[in-house]
Amino acid sequence: MDIFKIIGVGFIGLIISVILKEYRREYVIYISIIAGAIIIFMCFDELNNIINLLTNLADKSGSNSYFILLLLKITGIAILTEYAINICKDAGENAIASKIDLGGKVLIISISVPIISKLLETITKIM
Amino acid sequence: MDIDLLFKIAAIGILVAVLNQVLLRAGRDDQAMMTTLAGVVIVLSLVISEISELFTSVRTMFNL
Repeated sequence: MDIFKIIGVGFIGLIISVILKEYRREYVIYISIIAGAIIIFMCFDELNNIINLLTNLADKSGSNSYFILLLLKITGIAILTEYAINICKDAGENAIASKIDLGGKVLIISISVPIISKLLETITKIM
Repeated sequence: MDIDLLFKIAAIGILVAVLNQVLLRAGRDDQAMMTTLAGVVIVLSLVISEISELFTSVRTMFNL
C-alpha cells in the first residue's frame, strides 16, 4: 500500500468521471463506486496487520478480548456506511444517504449494548 | 481488483455515448435505447461483482 498509488487511483477516477460527466451522466456513479472499492482494497493488507495486532493484544489481556471483537465489528460497519453515504451524497441523493447513516448508527448502537451494560456494572461495583 | 476496471467502464461509457449519437443521427431511436440499456446492464454486472467481492472481504476481515 503506497500513498502515491492511492492518490493516483483517485485522480484517474476523477479524470474519467469528469470526462464521462458530459456524455453519460449516470456512469459517474459507477466510476466513483469502483474507484472507492479499489482504494479500500488497496488498504486491506495494512488493515489486516492492524487487526491481527489488535486481536493479539486482546488475547494477551484475556478478560475483555470480546470487546475488541465488538470494536472491530463497529469499525467495519463504520467504514462501509461512510463509503456508501459519500457515494450517495456525490450522486446528490442526500435522503438515501441519511437513511443509510441512520441504519449504520442503529446497528452500531445495537452492537455496543453489551459494552454499555458491562460498563454500568463496573461503575455500580465501584460505587 | 485493479485499475483496468476503471478504464473498462470508461470505455463502455464512451462507446455507448458514441453509438447513441450515431444511431440517433441514423434515425433508429429504439436501437439507441437498446445500446444504452445494454451498456447499463454490462457495467452494472461489473460493478455488482466488485461490490460483492468488497463486501465479502470486509465481512471476513471484521467478522461482521
